[in-house]
Amino acid sequence: MNDVDAPPAVVTRGLTKRFGGLTAIDSFDVALSPGRIYGLLGPNGSGKTTLIRLLAGLARPSAGSAQVLGVAMPSRPNLERIGYMTQADGIYAELSVWENVRFFAALFGVHDDDALRNVIEVVDLADRRDTPVFELSGGMRRRLSLACALVHKPAILFLDEPTVGIDPALRVQFWGYFRDLAAAGTTLLVASHVMDEADRCDELLLILHGRLLARGSGADIRARAGVEDLEGAFLKLGEAGPLS
Amino acid sequence: MNLRRTFAISRRIANAFKRDERSLALMFVAPIIVLGLLGWVIRGQGEPQTRFAIVNLAGAAGERIQLGVEQAVADAGVAVVQVDDETAARAALRDGDLDVVLVLPEGLIGNPGGPPTLRFITPGINPADDSGRIARLQGAILPALAGGAFPTVEPETIYGSPGGDQLDAFAPALVAFFAYFLVFVLTGISFLRERVGGTLERLLASPVRRSEIVTGYSAGFGFFATLQVILIMAFALGTIHVPAFGPVPAFSVGLGIANAGSPALAFLVALLLALGAVNLGIFLSTFARTELQVVQFIPIVIVPQALLCGLLWPISSLPELLQPVARVLPLTYAIDGLREVLVKGSDLSSAALRFDLAILAAIAVFLAILASLTIRREVA
Repeated sequence: MNDVDAPPAVVTRGLTKRFGGLTAIDSFDVALSPGRIYGLLGPNGSGKTTLIRLLAGLARPSAGSAQVLGVAMPSRPNLERIGYMTQADGIYAELSVWENVRFFAALFGVHDDDALRNVIEVVDLADRRDTPVFELSGGMRRRLSLACALVHKPAILFLDEPTVGIDPALRVQFWGYFRDLAAAGTTLLVASHVMDEADRCDELLLILHGRLLARGSGADIRARAGVEDLEGAFLKLGEAGPLS
Repeated sequence: MNLRRTFAISRRIANAFKRDERSLALMFVAPIIVLGLLGWVIRGQGEPQTRFAIVNLAGAAGERIQLGVEQAVADAGVAVVQVDDETAARAALRDGDLDVVLVLPEGLIGNPGGPPTLRFITPGINPADDSGRIARLQGAILPALAGGAFPTVEPETIYGSPGGDQLDAFAPALVAFFAYFLVFVLTGISFLRERVGGTLERLLASPVRRSEIVTGYSAGFGFFATLQVILIMAFALGTIHVPAFGPVPAFSVGLGIANAGSPALAFLVALLLALGAVNLGIFLSTFARTELQVVQFIPIVIVPQALLCGLLWPISSLPELLQPVARVLPLTYAIDGLREVLVKGSDLSSAALRFDLAILAAIAVFLAILASLTIRREVA
């Protein structure tokens, strides 16, 4: 469902976020189409998490604006349509898999047990339904964290380093979920500093010092920088400075 | 034993402390604050102003003694109040207009049965306070009785019984203290986990309102605080006698403290206090990064309250500067309210109890607002 004529899922104009003297996001302009997977790539401290928090309504812009699904953020009602998987697992260790999923679903007003069972099945935790989180492996916690972001079938999903610290097999599985979600019309913005995940995205946004450095498919960006790999492209484009 | 490795461990601890100013401050500042406060409270205690009256049942002989005693205690700085008879004196004690009443019995002089008996009537709400006042009065009164036989002193109280132990007076205070302390620590740590574990971030990325979080927390922890208060009260007020069984001798469980009022009202006081503690825990968790730091609030937040709330010393005898501080502490009102109910047997017709309940509710609401202000969507 890559309908480029549909209204954009995300539009930012001059989006800026300052913390004291530090400008974490600097005049960020971008428009993202619905039903696509966008990779937000940048080194640690480049502004990925801050950008996602601005889009998820957890931070207020210092200047400029961010629209998600046509609504200016922060907007509490709009959060019903947004899914957010935090960098930390953000799940309750004392609760079971089912209790965690049911709790986050209730926050979004979802009380459909069949739908929630389905979410647990999607992340392959159906046989761990009643296991408390403190007995789960790190990879299972990560999957549960993803499930908790999916309980309300969001139209747009912000994923902050979803695959950090998980093994390659599970990483492949995660990208399988993401692809299925996009096919069903969900827009995904996946922050990562793992460059080898980049080619799984429909399009990449390279971010450095809070500014949009480059945008395009992995192949586009490599070609533009005239190098073989994304790390090299990143370094080369970083020297050239941001877009616009 | 490798000294370099050992030294590396010690140095690691010192380096960590350098970046944890809070723990460092706690180690060096907290003892000084707590000891300083304790010293101030104990040394700076004013002699509480004692309002004193004499009821003379000993006729003309008693009048001479009455005048002598009144003169002596007035010289000692006691406010002497005139009362018509014992009924009026008891009413004044009940209303809090008098602190101590001395009854000069019939046959005070020339009693063939032995030394005269002086009856001291006190309110009996705070036995430590009462016995302190009586001891100070005795110091002034005994010389005024010089010549007569050394009197025996018979204490009597309006509320409770003078034969009751210290526990009767301390129990209400301890019920309040436990409810407050444990609920504060539990909520503080629990909410800190929300903040550092990423679940608060996730909560705030949902359409939930801050007021819903604060109310949900209050209800959730309030439920367990309720169970806790019920258990503490049952243990404090009740007694279960367990008969001897085999080699185990008979024993009883529970303190069996004399209780004059409605346990339900006492429970209401404790519950309002606990709700305040829930929100204080949420609020203060903002200022902690680790669970250890929540525990570090205990000497700063809990210990001074314990010293000032009237648990150990009556507020009226605290140093003047500390009295207004005591008047804003929730524990002060909870302990007063619980004493109203359990010791005095007050019900909702008592203005003092209604006042305590109103203040506790106001503090709980104020702390709830404060707590919800710390749960901003913009948590950097």
